[in-house]
Amino acid sequence: MSIQQYDYVDVEKKAQILGCNIPTDLALLPRNFEDAEFKDDLVHEDSVPTVRILFRQNGITETSIERDGEKYPQISEKAFEGWIGPTIFVSFALLNQNPHILSVALGVISNYLTDIFRGIPQHQNKASLNIVVQTTKKKTYKRIHYEGPISGMEQIPNIIREVSSSE
Amino acid sequence: MSKRLEGFREEFPYAIAESMKFCNAARSREFQVEAIQRLEILKTRASALKTEIVANKDENLANLLLSVENMLQAVISELKMWVAFKDEDPSAAWTDLVGAQSAASTAMRAHKIAANLDAYIDRLHALEHLLFPPQLFFSSGIIIKRSTCSICGHEYGDCGHVKGKAYMGQMCGRIIKECDLSEISVVSNPANKHCRVISTNDGKVTRDFMTWRLIDEQVTKNSDVDDFKKVLMSNTK
Repeated sequence: MSIQQYDYVDVEKKAQILGCNIPTDLALLPRNFEDAEFKDDLVHEDSVPTVRILFRQNGITETSIERDGEKYPQISEKAFEGWIGPTIFVSFALLNQNPHILSVALGVISNYLTDIFRGIPQHQNKASLNIVVQTTKKKTYKRIHYEGPISGMEQIPNIIREVSSSE
Repeated sequence: MSKRLEGFREEFPYAIAESMKFCNAARSREFQVEAIQRLEILKTRASALKTEIVANKDENLANLLLSVENMLQAVISELKMWVAFKDEDPSAAWTDLVGAQSAASTAMRAHKIAANLDAYIDRLHALEHLLFPPQLFFSSGIIIKRSTCSICGHEYGDCGHVKGKAYMGQMCGRIIKECDLSEISVVSNPANKHCRVISTNDGKVTRDFMTWRLIDEQVTKNSDVDDFKKVLMSNTK
């Protein structure tokens, strides 16, 4: 299992530059959100439509960065042995108002993965995903990359809390 | 229908157990073929029962029968694998083994009735490594522009059906309708084990990657395909 932390682009500014909706609460960011020069370049992970269905069914509200009628293509690649999840942005305001939102969202994803990994060899039962949060003091953005077994995903919310209050 | 269903539920485990007796290399081919035929008949009955149950909108029973269909298919495919080995057709045996793995996994996801298939699935994965030489696979990266739900036909993501879950006796899948190819990789652990290298050329001779037999050079020279397609891919199922 590995959990790594990286600096991340200012989500609000980048969304403005690209002409996307500015995510205010919880949003799924395209894989290349940091590097894309134009909105037409944006691509989601192919897991995004599935995660959106799961969030809808579990009452988790997403502030989509796509404007009405827009759909970004999704990339599917198999270099990683396991499930490649989306980049989930959680605003500082939402984390403050609802500290459990991330645990709920990740719980929904891990329950789904437990179901679909039935009958798959153990070494392939891995997930990778990113969480982007804003830090409390310096108002910078951090990306936490998780890669490992489904069971390890429950550790992510604690790490996010530490990261968001650290700087 | 409930009597037929009860009868089927009693008969099914017995038939599976009996057929498993022939899932090995030592048993004679004719008994393996007979076992396949018996299971095929049982699977046809399971499908007919499922159709009636779907008409009655009993989702739990429909998914149970989907699971049963896939358990039967798993054993049918494994038996076919043993027969294919006896027919000296290891490529077909590989296709059947991958089919058995896939059907067993689908059975587990479809309904809790198959919750105890872990040991069987481990056995199938052990057979993969014991019976076949190490394989090389291809895996493709694609940009999906449009896809639909296999259950309702709507744009995938707009409906409430989730890929990999069972709904009224059908497994939900995402059907890619429009995509661009972004890359092809050679991998050791692919998403699709049917997509494998089937021949190799060392600059002198071309060999079947499974049997290591020489492939007729004339066939390769005369084949009207580009260089990429010469690296033959098996993606038949």
